[in-house]
Amino acid sequence: MTFLHPLALLGLAAAAIPALLHLLERRVPPEAEFPPIRYLSEAERQSARRLKLRHLLLLVLRTALIAMIVMAAARPLVRSRRAAGGGAHEPTALLLILDNSPSSGAVVDGRPLIERLKTVARGAITRAAAGDRLWLMLADGVARLGSRDALVATVDSVVPGWRRLDLSGAVAQASRLVDAEPLPGREVAVVSDLQRTTFGEGRADIPRGVRVLALASATGGEALANRGVAQARVAGGAVAITLVGTPGGSPAPVTVRLRAPGSPAGRSHDVGRALAAPGSSATVPLPSVAPGWWIGEAVLDPDELRADDRRAFVWRVALPARVRADPGAGLFVAAALAVLTQGKRIVEGSDVTVGERLRGGAGTTVLLPPSDPALLGQANRALVARGVAWQFGGAGTPGPIATAGVAGISGIPVARRYRLGGGGGDTTAILATVNGDPWLVRAGDVVLLGSRLDTTWTALPASPAFVPFVDALVNRLARGEASITEAEGPPGVAFQVHGADTVGAVVSAPDARESDLTPAASDVVRRAIGAELLDEAQFAAEQYAATRRTDMSGLLLALALLVAGVELGVATRAQ
Amino acid sequence: MTEVRRIDLLDPAEVARLGGIEIVAQGVVEGFLAGIHRSPFRGFSVEFTEHRAYQPGDEPRYLDWKILARADRLFVKQFEEETNLRAMLLVDASRSMAWRGAPGRLTKRAYADRLAAALALILLRQRDATGLITFDEVVRQVIPARVKTGQWTRLVRGLLDTPDGRGTAAEAALLRLTGLLARRGLVVLVSDLLFDRALALTALRYLRHRGHNVIVFHLMDPAEAELTGPPEVRFRDPESPASVVVRPRELARAYGETVRREVAAWRSACRRHGIGYHHVLTDLPFGMALRLLA
Repeated sequence: MTFLHPLALLGLAAAAIPALLHLLERRVPPEAEFPPIRYLSEAERQSARRLKLRHLLLLVLRTALIAMIVMAAARPLVRSRRAAGGGAHEPTALLLILDNSPSSGAVVDGRPLIERLKTVARGAITRAAAGDRLWLMLADGVARLGSRDALVATVDSVVPGWRRLDLSGAVAQASRLVDAEPLPGREVAVVSDLQRTTFGEGRADIPRGVRVLALASATGGEALANRGVAQARVAGGAVAITLVGTPGGSPAPVTVRLRAPGSPAGRSHDVGRALAAPGSSATVPLPSVAPGWWIGEAVLDPDELRADDRRAFVWRVALPARVRADPGAGLFVAAALAVLTQGKRIVEGSDVTVGERLRGGAGTTVLLPPSDPALLGQANRALVARGVAWQFGGAGTPGPIATAGVAGISGIPVARRYRLGGGGGDTTAILATVNGDPWLVRAGDVVLLGSRLDTTWTALPASPAFVPFVDALVNRLARGEASITEAEGPPGVAFQVHGADTVGAVVSAPDARESDLTPAASDVVRRAIGAELLDEAQFAAEQYAATRRTDMSGLLLALALLVAGVELGVATRAQ
Repeated sequence: MTEVRRIDLLDPAEVARLGGIEIVAQGVVEGFLAGIHRSPFRGFSVEFTEHRAYQPGDEPRYLDWKILARADRLFVKQFEEETNLRAMLLVDASRSMAWRGAPGRLTKRAYADRLAAALALILLRQRDATGLITFDEVVRQVIPARVKTGQWTRLVRGLLDTPDGRGTAAEAALLRLTGLLARRGLVVLVSDLLFDRALALTALRYLRHRGHNVIVFHLMDPAEAELTGPPEVRFRDPESPASVVVRPRELARAYGETVRREVAAWRSACRRHGIGYHHVLTDLPFGMALRLLA
């Protein structure tokens, strides 16, 4: 048994008042003559036992009455799982995970799923008591600590977001957070659509003593039909479109639209159409267009989940680079350029020169370290003369390539290299590193490599990524352009600019896994996050059930009333 | 219609305010006799003397049926006492008799004096020899039974001259009284009977055995019949150092039962021994008390 107001128990000392009054009462009663005192003595002798019992009973009743009232004021709580949800309970640390990932925007039975989730979440927070510690975690994974009213206000303002929620990770984080709280109750409540794709591999490590409750899917375990555009990438003059969604969906038409660089969003026009089913891909050829950064999108017909019905893509249209290779560039570079020439990715010219010597004149130079170490100083002097801050340094340790801006080369080992230094702290010039040292940098019209593109220096020439790397080197990196990257977020395109030039783009869209609206099976949920699936009524009833207490103050007051009635009866009946 | 108020039926305290014992007793007796038109004690050893015309109120048993049959006229027979009734009034003058439960009531002693005076007046008017003995621990006054003129005044004086006593060892006094009552007659004891019942009954039984006609007036203040008072009070016996602290509300029921049991015990014991017993509360009109003897 616990008490909501334990300090009130100090009032129990008042329960001793009747006994003290009985023991300490020393008042002198008034005196009066009464001749038939023999009758009085006889009556008292005959009633002595009854009066003694009555006095004892009254003492007990009055003491019990005071004790009951004091106990009621202290609000005693006793453990009871039968109490209705939201009843009194011991202080509990509760973290509520409200999954507002894009899939929560799906319409179920004519109502956005997020509204149902918000209703349940609001109820869960409202049932909290003053002594509880509350957090709210949305799909962004941030645990927000707040008061009941503040968190209810936050829940009310929630809309479907663009971030996918890794529920396994979120539950693991949440359970660690509540487990650190020194409170009698620790619970994690999961209010989610429980997509099967939201659970990561393995299972969340739930500390002992932490309860995880999960709201069951609104569809009763049935998968909601949905299609979404998972990917739209331009390659070879066509856009490859991959559809995802709830498995079993029929093929659906995908429309590809394109708009010219700098034109407003509403000025796009259809350039092709294809049929594709979830899990399959389709390719739509793009028309010949003028050079520039074109924005396109692949669009599906609207369905229950609108967030994944369109996906943007960026098409960089540029003339092939005119490239020339010095003899010192090596056989592998020459072979790669030949392949690119054959594929019309480059043409013969002097806009870009690949070699181990820095030549004067216009154009960009991709500078490799000289094969003869004795020429290293000459190369550095030429770089200085060209106004390039970066230079070749001493030999570096072997290691793998690390880069985010150049696709396909990360992890490829480098055996020999020179450290590139002297950049003056300009980290924006660094395109790839090895063991943390700059390995590929772009400074002005020079692109510096820390290793020669030879298999004795690096395994890169022997890898399939070599030709695409050389393509990116001469067509994109030499021009100072970044790659087109994809990010999780609301559908759209953000261009990177350098001065007046557009040098790259970020295409954002929801995570493709959000499109599969198949709910996870209950055993998967139990295994992944250690929770049981509960419908809304059970969810409300089970919340705080481990620490739920029934407030006994009402019962005590009723008993006190009963005792008071008995006391009144005993006190007046015998008179 | 004018309401005629008989003095014998008024509240005793109200009647007592009319004057001294004599006036009160005479008023009570006049009212009493006017109400019943007969003596309650006629019939003790009497002899026929003459006839007189029947008057309304005369008892039919004294009608002379022979004259009625012969002359068709109603005559009643008049009797003359052959020997006077000897009546002795025993009045308890102990300390407990000087108590009253409320200021507006008579003390038991005052009530007893007036009742005894009225009774004596009735008896003397019947030409019964009437005497008085007052007692507490000891016998205080003894006025032998006489029927001569001025006897009633002596009796009243005897009542007035007897102060309130201190204790009641009345058993001893009663035993002594038995020796004073040599000739058979009527013995009327007026007392609150707050003494040992067994010993008192022994004395009364002895009187009865000696051929006396014994009547007991058990006086009780209404406050003695029902226990009331403050929440807690120390009751002190006026006749002894005994005292007891009680909560009247707690003990009222048991006390009431005890009193009723005591009265019943007295009544039963007296009936068993041929003794007349009357329980009289001091707020009972004198006439009603006298009527108990009729």
